[in-house]
Amino acid sequence: MKKIKEQTYQKEMEEMIEEEKKEGTLKSIILWIFSNLKFLLIPGSRIAELSQRESDYERMVSKRKFIRRLKSPLTIIGILIVISIVTLAVFGHWLAPYTVEEADGIWPNVYGPPSPTNPLGQTNFGRDILARIIYGARNSLTIALPSITLSVVVGVMLGVIAAYYGGWVDTIIMRIGDVFLAFPALVFAIVLVGILGRKLEVIIFAYGILGIPYYARLIRGSVLQARELPYVAAAKVAGAGNWRIMFRHILPNSIQPIIISFTFDIGGVILSFAGLAFLGYSDPSLIEWGRDIDIGRGHLVNAPWATLWPGVMILLTVLGFMLVGDGLRDALDPRLRNL
Amino acid sequence: MSMLKYMIRRVFQLIPILFGVLILIFFLSRAMPGDPILAHLPPIFTPAQYAARARQLGFHLPLWQQFFIYLGNLFMGNWGVSISINRGQQVWELIWERFPRTLDIAIFAIIIASYVGIKTGVIAATHRNKAKDTIFRGFALIGVSIPIFWLGLLLQFFVSYKLGWFPAIGFKDMHFADPQMVTGFRIIDSIIEGKLYLVGDYLVHLVLPVFCLAFIFLATFTRQTRSSMLEILQQDYIRTARAKGCREKDVIKKHALRNALVPTVTIIGLSIGGLLGGAMLTEITFNLHGMGELLLRAILDRDYYVLNAIVFMTTIIFILVNLFTDMAYAYLDPRITYQ
Repeated sequence: MKKIKEQTYQKEMEEMIEEEKKEGTLKSIILWIFSNLKFLLIPGSRIAELSQRESDYERMVSKRKFIRRLKSPLTIIGILIVISIVTLAVFGHWLAPYTVEEADGIWPNVYGPPSPTNPLGQTNFGRDILARIIYGARNSLTIALPSITLSVVVGVMLGVIAAYYGGWVDTIIMRIGDVFLAFPALVFAIVLVGILGRKLEVIIFAYGILGIPYYARLIRGSVLQARELPYVAAAKVAGAGNWRIMFRHILPNSIQPIIISFTFDIGGVILSFAGLAFLGYSDPSLIEWGRDIDIGRGHLVNAPWATLWPGVMILLTVLGFMLVGDGLRDALDPRLRNL
Repeated sequence: MSMLKYMIRRVFQLIPILFGVLILIFFLSRAMPGDPILAHLPPIFTPAQYAARARQLGFHLPLWQQFFIYLGNLFMGNWGVSISINRGQQVWELIWERFPRTLDIAIFAIIIASYVGIKTGVIAATHRNKAKDTIFRGFALIGVSIPIFWLGLLLQFFVSYKLGWFPAIGFKDMHFADPQMVTGFRIIDSIIEGKLYLVGDYLVHLVLPVFCLAFIFLATFTRQTRSSMLEILQQDYIRTARAKGCREKDVIKKHALRNALVPTVTIIGLSIGGLLGGAMLTEITFNLHGMGELLLRAILDRDYYVLNAIVFMTTIIFILVNLFTDMAYAYLDPRITYQ
């Protein structure tokens, strides 16, 4: 295993040097030799500048490796999809053929087929589908991003604390987390919306809470491994406090699985939020894909376009985030490096 | 023996989780605005009438007393009486009318999804970066990103309405009478009565929902099997097996797949919780009159005992499946022991 790693590393180095040669020609090599002559002639000579250059070079190599791994065609498609969905969400006002009020207004020609004025057809009250799916992007993202941020921030904090202190702190935090993990997610969201009202903040809050134990559990595993490593002991010897060790030393070294899971879960939250809206538990004042599918569902036979397009948008958005997540995992996960 | 001890200890660890879920759902459901007692009273009533009704239903006590009474009844096997959905009926009976149908599609879907998912995952891993791999990965990606209810609606439109192959909604032909209810499971009941055409009729109605649900979970299982197979195929012992002249079929099946199955089994176990949620969404889309519909009505009508019972049941299933998943590890990987 290690041998293969070394071999691939050597190969990378050779490729790098060849690239350099192509770019810099002989002149730059001679210049480099002259400027570093004393280090080549006197073995063991190390000064700050050279070590700095060495580490810079290695950093550049690893960065290039990372970017090269991200360059698979599927990942690029995913990034393009995500960028276009974000564009729709941010610049929806300029891109959509109708304003929000018009897309939520009352028009003639209910469930009309596609026409020049309504390129994708019309849904209930004759509303334009194209405009509605563009505005839907904004609402999907404004729910998915804050709720996952909430679960990541709180979950990571609780997970790190639980794993670092261990003992009864660990037991209490993880047991409460287990209760939420075992609780049916759909029921929790519906009941919470029933208690606090069908508002945007409530739905964000509900999914934010549901994600917390998942992230806590995820980071707990990697912190438990990192806690035993020498650099933690070194930091302790150097006199660092518990909080400093937890969040400055351990956390940056064990955050990787969270980053990968974060991208996947944006797609997951958009999906479950669409399911909630499909069941009729979403903010009725918002234009939302899941709710549009529920509206179009009753007219599936005579107006299939009203059901089709919002679903296509959900599929595309989630697919985009999943592709980016796949690419990130391939680039970051050390176990997959040699595949 | 240590296995039995481990199991007993695990079961005892599960009791606080179950208790926590019960506390959570009991108080959350009571916090929802609305009063089911009003459904029992005539439109115009006196406060005395209201108090009498509340006393009759046991709602006059403080909430914590009600909780402990409910808990006591639950352990005695008394799940309470429906307040508003079907007044006076035992909750147990109400659930048992609905639950088998949801369980049927969930069981069929999980069997099909695990079998096909593991198979396609292995094929994708052994044909890495070839046409088969790309096709399976593409399907798996779509399966992970598609909203389950939208897939159901698409199937209803194209397969049922356009092609007319399978019925779109419901679980029986309306001309057929129901079999005598013995076990609650329609297939078994029909066989007991000797009406095999009812079994056929039921299965035809289940094809689309099961396909819908299986497709979603198939995707997850394929992805997991593929990535763990790829990791295992790099190991030294696979090379050893090939070098000693093992048949390729045996290398894949006995050396690689058995080791790769451990994470897949974890994913299958974890997805049971999501499966019940997905089965509820599917079964609402296909109008099967199962648990999902009952759950929505229980929340809408504030039928507390029905809601609590459904959550209680799904949690028990989720917990038990996780326990069995842990047991399955020892069978798949003899190196894993339980202390």
